[in-house]
Amino acid sequence: MNESTTVLARPFFRRWMLGLIPLGVALAVWMVAPAVADIPPFMFPTMASVLKSTGKHLADGSLVFNVASSLGRLAIGFVIGNTIAIPLGIAIATNTKIADVFQPVLTFMQSIAGIAWVPLAIIWFGIGDGAVIFVIANTIFFSNIYNTVLGVRSIPPVLFKAARSHGASEKQILFDLVIPGALTQILVGMRTSMAFGWRALVGGEMLAGTSGIGYITIEAVQWYQTEIILRGMIIIGVLWLVMDRLIFRVLEDRTVQRWGMIQN
Amino acid sequence: MTTEAIPAAAAKRSFRSPKNAKRIRQLGGILAVVVAWQISVWVIDLPPYFYPGPSNVFDAFIELVERGILPPYIGDSVGRYALGVFCGTSIGVLIGLLIGLSRLMSAVLAPTINFFYSIVEVAWIPLFVIWWGYGIKTIIVALVYVAAFPVLYNTLIGVRTVPTVLINASKSLGATNLQVLVNVILPSALPNIFTGFRIGAGFAFRGLIFAEMIAAQTGVGYLIFEGANSQQTDRTIVGMITIGLMWLVIDRAYLSPVEKITIERWGLVSDSK
Repeated sequence: MNESTTVLARPFFRRWMLGLIPLGVALAVWMVAPAVADIPPFMFPTMASVLKSTGKHLADGSLVFNVASSLGRLAIGFVIGNTIAIPLGIAIATNTKIADVFQPVLTFMQSIAGIAWVPLAIIWFGIGDGAVIFVIANTIFFSNIYNTVLGVRSIPPVLFKAARSHGASEKQILFDLVIPGALTQILVGMRTSMAFGWRALVGGEMLAGTSGIGYITIEAVQWYQTEIILRGMIIIGVLWLVMDRLIFRVLEDRTVQRWGMIQN
Repeated sequence: MTTEAIPAAAAKRSFRSPKNAKRIRQLGGILAVVVAWQISVWVIDLPPYFYPGPSNVFDAFIELVERGILPPYIGDSVGRYALGVFCGTSIGVLIGLLIGLSRLMSAVLAPTINFFYSIVEVAWIPLFVIWWGYGIKTIIVALVYVAAFPVLYNTLIGVRTVPTVLINASKSLGATNLQVLVNVILPSALPNIFTGFRIGAGFAFRGLIFAEMIAAQTGVGYLIFEGANSQQTDRTIVGMITIGLMWLVIDRAYLSPVEKITIERWGLVSDSK
């Protein structure tokens, strides 16, 4: 009968095919619609014009430059935010009293964090890289310090007592209990903070940028270059999918497996 | 490190009511930040438009309230947010259920939904501005969009993961399709729906602030952006604090209780053992 192989092979193949149907339909409609319905190109550009402008900006290197500068800012903000947030979060959380003192402030700051800092960042750093990086780092910092504190606080106190009563040093407690214990929560936090950081990047560039994918997308509004806007949106969507699926989900799966802290 | 292992110390602390001590420490933290901020203003001595202190911010707050600017702005923002999130959530649940009920439809549409879910609402705003100009329509559509997709996506997952056994069991006991939907599928998808709602509500709030900065003439997002443009930084900070408080109120007074009820009533029953 050979049924087992078909059962294994077919759904995968089928799902792929099925998922592509809406894409195909959308592309077909996009190709046919401008000829049938009278849509002004500034409302919705033709596929040809999107491809043409994309080709042009790929050829002169400006598209690659803008995408790369966006990703660079995101990386810098991410590294700065996390390098401060994680050690500080662990330091705060390992002491109950200090954690109590900081918690309301962190909760509050975390609820402002993000795009709402853009105006202040413009005043402090002027329009440009500084303001955008500040907003990203800020967003990632507050989102992740909050999660780091939560992660450490969620380690059962009995484990600390057990480790101490077996003679663990503070260093051992830090490296063998606190860090592994909080790691899953920290990684989940990183992924969440990235979602906010990504919005902060795109939004920050729109309001305070001088280059980058968000900047070129909002700049196009002034000239009604809708083909650039549309292409910007597609790039923003694809970049996020790639980052989230290829980096964070993989990282999360690996560590969750490694430390075996699967929730529920 | 505290010595919480010693019972005597614990007894002593309970005497002083640890809950009160915690409250005091928490209040102390907030107070310390405000004091440190004021002191840093005195020490660093920058022009107030660049680095306003708590006293400037408080004055600006009083002024904004007295002039009748802040309260209507908050009202506008809350109204837009409530409308956008309500419509977005309803649309998300409806479409999520419709698609989720059909295995074929969910296989066809899931990747597309996923793709649109990953185009952040921030990126849609330029296109919306082209379509509808700078104004409330753009803001509302952006909020509906950002609220709908997480709900749609999670509803879909929730419906897809209802154990088929449950559906078959209730059908073989004579339940109608409607009964299966209302009594089996909906309750077991509800925790997922709520997860989506929470994610959507969180992103929608940020989306609101951003959309108001770009496309509004009122609202707290407009307030912070205009404050910075006119170098009235104290107003910007009043706006930021308002934004933080608004989110805390939405989160604590509204989202958390609903979530608690959902989980107590329907969720996490089957997998706690």
